[in-house]
Amino acid sequence: MWESIIFWVCGGLMLLSGIMMVLSRNAVVAACWLIFCFLNAAGIFAILSAPFLAVLQVLVYAGAIMVLFLFVIMMLQAPVLEAEQRRRSLWLGPAMLLPVLATLVVLIGWLRGPLNLLPAQPLPDDFGTAQAVASLLLNEYLLAFELISIVLLVAIIGAIALGKVERKLPWR
Amino acid sequence: MAITLTHYLALAGALFLTGMLGFIIRRNALIMLMSVELMLSATNVVFAAFSRHWGNGAGHVFVLMNFAVAAAEAAIGLAILVEIYRRRRSVNVDELKVLME
Repeated sequence: MWESIIFWVCGGLMLLSGIMMVLSRNAVVAACWLIFCFLNAAGIFAILSAPFLAVLQVLVYAGAIMVLFLFVIMMLQAPVLEAEQRRRSLWLGPAMLLPVLATLVVLIGWLRGPLNLLPAQPLPDDFGTAQAVASLLLNEYLLAFELISIVLLVAIIGAIALGKVERKLPWR
Repeated sequence: MAITLTHYLALAGALFLTGMLGFIIRRNALIMLMSVELMLSATNVVFAAFSRHWGNGAGHVFVLMNFAVAAAEAAIGLAILVEIYRRRRSVNVDELKVLME
């Protein structure tokens, strides 16, 4: 009952705000729509019994990443959207092919019969809590955890190297 | 009507399609980056939905990994964007065709 209400409300708003993000002229407005979209994604995570992910979605996505986007938009401070409309029609045709192809894929899947999955498994008691995720992350998926740290380290180094004003990098 | 796995997959597919269309149609590099974020978010929904379907927490671990990838992508992409803007005074990707000429 509650699941279907929250699914339709949050999912619908998420899709709507995603479309509004793509269509909006102003980059600040687009970023605000995307923040709204991520907040609704947190609702979707909540009904998927992943409360930890819902919290992280708000903290990391809607908080940190989108603040970074807004910060850069404000810093560039340009009327960044001028002269975009000129070439848009050039890409519209190929882009319109995408929904058609997606519909085709869905239709083929439909014709091949229902999704042949095993039935849903019962959830453990602590499913999706911070404790359960952390225990998986630090035992079974330790390699993924270390990979995350390497990805972030490379990103930090790359951002610093790109952001340096005078180019005194060792390999130049 | 109960919400099944298919509903979540349909939602994620629609979101992914929206992000992909935005990436192709829009020529503003900032909005293209945001569209990539939308696509990553759609994959997160799929991970979480399957994770609950199987009753297995592994999907949550990969959603966490996806968060980190999205953060790294945003940081590097925006750093490149700022550098391009500093040199070319534009973030329109159609005007960036030095390699083509």
